[in-house]
Amino acid sequence: MKRIFALVLVAVVGILLFSGIYSMEGFPRYGEAEVSERVSMSYIDKNVTRENQEVVFGVSENLETGSANIVTSIIVNYRSFDTLGEVTVLFVSALGVSLLFGSFEGRLRSRYKPNFILRTGSKVVFPLILVMGAYIFIHGHLSPGGGFPGGSMIASAILLMYLADEDFRVRIDDFKKTEGIAGAMYVLLGLVGLMISNYFLSNFLDTGTVGTLFSAGIIPVVYVLVGLKVGSELTGIITDFLKGEVE
Amino acid sequence: MIIVSYILMLIGAFFYAIGGLGIYRMPDLFNRAQAGTKATTLGTLSLLLGVGVQQPSWIPKLLLIAVFIAVTNPVGSSTLARAGYHSGVPIYEGTQVDDLKELYKKEDGLDE
Repeated sequence: MKRIFALVLVAVVGILLFSGIYSMEGFPRYGEAEVSERVSMSYIDKNVTRENQEVVFGVSENLETGSANIVTSIIVNYRSFDTLGEVTVLFVSALGVSLLFGSFEGRLRSRYKPNFILRTGSKVVFPLILVMGAYIFIHGHLSPGGGFPGGSMIASAILLMYLADEDFRVRIDDFKKTEGIAGAMYVLLGLVGLMISNYFLSNFLDTGTVGTLFSAGIIPVVYVLVGLKVGSELTGIITDFLKGEVE
Repeated sequence: MIIVSYILMLIGAFFYAIGGLGIYRMPDLFNRAQAGTKATTLGTLSLLLGVGVQQPSWIPKLLLIAVFIAVTNPVGSSTLARAGYHSGVPIYEGTQVDDLKELYKKEDGLDE
């Protein structure tokens, strides 16, 4: 009885959902959704340009931010100083982890060594994850994502290698250098903006055509820097957490 | 062409359903892992093939996804099953062959 009731309930909910969705006004039929029109058009900033003109994907030029992803246009353009603060928060937490675990020399090991399948498989996947992470932060101004998710993906690739290979070690000094240089470049970029147009982190480059890779002024530059910084910081945190006294 | 692609997608969905049923019905971790992995690997590849037939311009991306699935899915499942075996997950009483038992006993619980 209970089962029949559950089956009927599932069927009724399914019918309600599908009939509700398909009778909805403005919901595209299957296969007819134009993603480039729907999602991107709502991302493109329409109201921040003074004239409030119509913005066409791939045609409009010299908008205020020129970022196809409106979330990015806020995070890395209007509130870029806030993002600098967020990066600093991550830096401070990485520093704290490093202070806690930095004195340990050895590396935590599991009781069972990773086998051949895992070692080889992760070596195949590792470059794919790195490329995906770089893609995410380079296209931060065009598609969902950006420096933080892209950097996290790169760090997750490093974590995979740590788990899959007992002898894997990153050269942590290189990552620390990357992190420092990327952070310093971010601040320097802000200072250049201060010199050119009187306020910190202003978007002083040409914003170009909406929806192309080289557009949106300094937004992609900042996102590449943030991606590198977040990736190397999280790698440092992972490396520190895996430290421990050798038994 | 469209019909071929829909048939391929349906085959994929069918394998997903079988995989879900297998995870629900199989008696222990190892049977469940193999049911889920085999079915979803085949199901995903068939689904990707169907999408590729419909949208030939997506084929490079789909190939990349297929490679990723074909590598990660079996490796992940094998690692999970191995970790389960090592941590002593109970094995179904009806199991006939257990090759790992002898191997790991000989090497005192540590392989390689």
